[in-house]
Amino acid sequence: MTVPDRRPRPRIVVWLGVLGPGLIAANAGNDAGGIATYASAGAQFVYRTLFLMVLVTVGLVVVQEMSTRLGAYTGEGLMSLIREQFPLRWAAFAIVALVVANVGLVVSEFAGIGAALELVGITRYIAVPVAALVIWAVVVFGSYRYVERVFLLLSLVFVAYPVAAVLGHPDWGRAGAQTAWPHFVGGHAFLFLAVALIGTTITPYMQLYAAAAVADRGIGPEEYPAERVDAIAGAIFANVVSWFIIVATAAAIGGRGPLSSAKQAAEALKPVAGAGAEALFGLGLLGASALAAAVVPLATAYAVAEAVGAERSTSRRFSEAPLFVGLFTALVFVGALIAVVPGNLITLLVNMQVINGVVAPVILVFILLLANRRAVLGDATNGPRFNVVATVSVVAVAVLALIVVVQSVGGWVGVL
Amino acid sequence: MSRRVPLPRPAALRQRRATRLVTNRTVRGNLISVAGLVGRPVTNQAGDVIGRLQDVVARWEGEQYPPITGVVVRVGRRSSFVRADQVSRLGANEIRLRSGRVDLVGYHRRAREVALVADVMDHQLVDVDGLRVVRAADLYLTRAGDRVLLVGVDVGFASLLRRLGPARFRTRPTPEQVIDWATIQPFAGGGGAVPLRRPNQELHRLRPAELADLLEHLGRNERQELIDNLEPEVAADALEEMQPEELEALLREARVDQAAELVSRMEPDEAADALRDLDDDTRTALLAHMEPERARTLETMARYPERTAAGIMTTQLVCCRPDDTVEAVRHRLREAADHAADIDNVCVLDGAGRLLDDVSLFELVVAEPGDPMETLVGPPWPVTVDPAATLDEVTERLVANRRSSLVVADGEGRPLGRILADDVVDALLPDRGRLRFPRILG
Repeated sequence: MTVPDRRPRPRIVVWLGVLGPGLIAANAGNDAGGIATYASAGAQFVYRTLFLMVLVTVGLVVVQEMSTRLGAYTGEGLMSLIREQFPLRWAAFAIVALVVANVGLVVSEFAGIGAALELVGITRYIAVPVAALVIWAVVVFGSYRYVERVFLLLSLVFVAYPVAAVLGHPDWGRAGAQTAWPHFVGGHAFLFLAVALIGTTITPYMQLYAAAAVADRGIGPEEYPAERVDAIAGAIFANVVSWFIIVATAAAIGGRGPLSSAKQAAEALKPVAGAGAEALFGLGLLGASALAAAVVPLATAYAVAEAVGAERSTSRRFSEAPLFVGLFTALVFVGALIAVVPGNLITLLVNMQVINGVVAPVILVFILLLANRRAVLGDATNGPRFNVVATVSVVAVAVLALIVVVQSVGGWVGVL
Repeated sequence: MSRRVPLPRPAALRQRRATRLVTNRTVRGNLISVAGLVGRPVTNQAGDVIGRLQDVVARWEGEQYPPITGVVVRVGRRSSFVRADQVSRLGANEIRLRSGRVDLVGYHRRAREVALVADVMDHQLVDVDGLRVVRAADLYLTRAGDRVLLVGVDVGFASLLRRLGPARFRTRPTPEQVIDWATIQPFAGGGGAVPLRRPNQELHRLRPAELADLLEHLGRNERQELIDNLEPEVAADALEEMQPEELEALLREARVDQAAELVSRMEPDEAADALRDLDDDTRTALLAHMEPERARTLETMARYPERTAAGIMTTQLVCCRPDDTVEAVRHRLREAADHAADIDNVCVLDGAGRLLDDVSLFELVVAEPGDPMETLVGPPWPVTVDPAATLDEVTERLVANRRSSLVVADGEGRPLGRILADDVVDALLPDRGRLRFPRILG
């Protein structure tokens, strides 16, 4: 006998139907910082950064797969595993790295909100503080779920990029060739952007989310094969969209030098929306930014509280979950505060991705170690070939990050 | 269906327990921090360093405070176990052995033994008293006669910071938020290598909603272990109070026979809810492991959507024949006293199982014990609804007839279950779910 009617599940998954945690996690990379970085890449270096997307995709697939596997086989979040499996000092280091990376993300989300609303003439000195207050209040006092659906829907606007790329008549031959063939451009600017690209694509927050979502849905080893497909497909799909963002922007404004404003970035959508390009871009940017501006602080507070072992739930009052609510509050307001510091918003957005790129290797190393521990995964530890790919990816990301750190520090002290 | 009443969490209660150990000055002076012991040099009786302390092993066997059975010492690249009676001094400054000979056979965990550093420190524990899931920042031992006992768990943030600092600080206990070990439900650690002998007795005193709250906060292995340690009845009551998504995950992860037993012990309407949320394969597997009659009832209920008559009814019916005496029916009610909350009227059925009348408990109380039920059949006639009736139709019929319950009957007039007014109230109340990452995206 069949069941005539299933109760509708009261969550987003309903209407995102086929979207699994893998797809959602990976696509979180296409947030405000992601759009700004990909658009910058297209504007400044035309098609020359495309080959990086291939390497980044391999890295992202490997990393997301490991995170999802850890979540499925242990039923625990990454931070919880790190606390239980490593000495406390290592765990503390991981937590600090995560918080630093995510403060960067929150800043970029609020910068994204500011940039989106500046398109309609609202100054960010008003838009960002108001947005921070509203987001904080909705999460702490209300139900964020309903608002979140609106934002998620808005952020789907960026699916318009592939269409824009096709209509914008890019030089497909060059795009293809430079995707397949590495074209290094000398200089600090290219390297900086490369790390930003990696940082915005392989974000610690995404790995955290992938593991937590899988563990929380009770997806176990039996269901893992299907989940693995979801994780890999999600990572690839997200990067295909990113690739199109670079191509569309390159076709529209490529070669005009560094991206300076959201207005300029919106030009890439002109082939689709014509005069409405700015509105479309603004809506998408607002949706993606506002969504992540709430989710990233929440996820961070949750992960830290989980690792420390403190109460974690927004239904608890401040006195009952001081660490969780306090950290969430601090992240939202510190993030918003940094985002209103005068300066170019797009530059700020890209810089924040660099911080993520520099911190990412720390979390990646932990993931790699965990995925090799028999005490954690039993027989599901990394295979030898997988390990080679994973190790090379992590080392490559780490080396690039290190070079940027050395160059930046050298720049400050005047050595280089 | 969420019936969760927000739990009162008296901070005072938690505080009282937390400070109990600390106020005892003598205890404080004698506390040995396990985190402080780790990595400290271990010496033989001559005072020569032979290795470093790696772990402390305790045995749980029903005592309130588990005794330490030995320590694991790292000698070169090997770990070896030294029995507690071979340790002459165990303190932050010195760990001295009675003999210089250390058996270099690697340490293997034995039954009922737990390595405190590897399995307990930094892992999840349930604080039965404060009703929360905690992580052990440090563990405290104290000497009692010739034994060393595990007496407390430190969950304070200060202790975490202390452990991050230099070794000098690490050894000094900072018992600010210490929970008495007697109120802790520990877990065996990943993989459940060591089955726990004794679930904390206090667990059984928790209210179902409190247990549900703890279950929702635990990791998968710990949750499974807690369920294993509870009486099925107690666990089933707790499951009824869980959030639907958490319950769905729990049932999917548990062993099929265990999940089937738990579901069949839940109240029928809650059990049907739970089954409805499961995927088809899991549901079929669970039903196959249940007692056939129970499985059939639940399957029928689960087949109808939640917001229909069959979806919210209870199958807890007390039925009788017209020739049964009032006395016999009262006796049957007495036997069903466990389900008192779900029993409203008594159904009088004809030979074919069709409903003749729905006799109220009032009528039954005032009737003569020796009379047959037949004499009570008469107006007001029963109000019935179709199993597929929508919630609105049910509400309307209930209101129009001013009854406290309705009988759900199939096309032939055979009763399937009963809908009580409070079930309708529950169904009409909006779900007030809690917001928790990653719920918010998933």
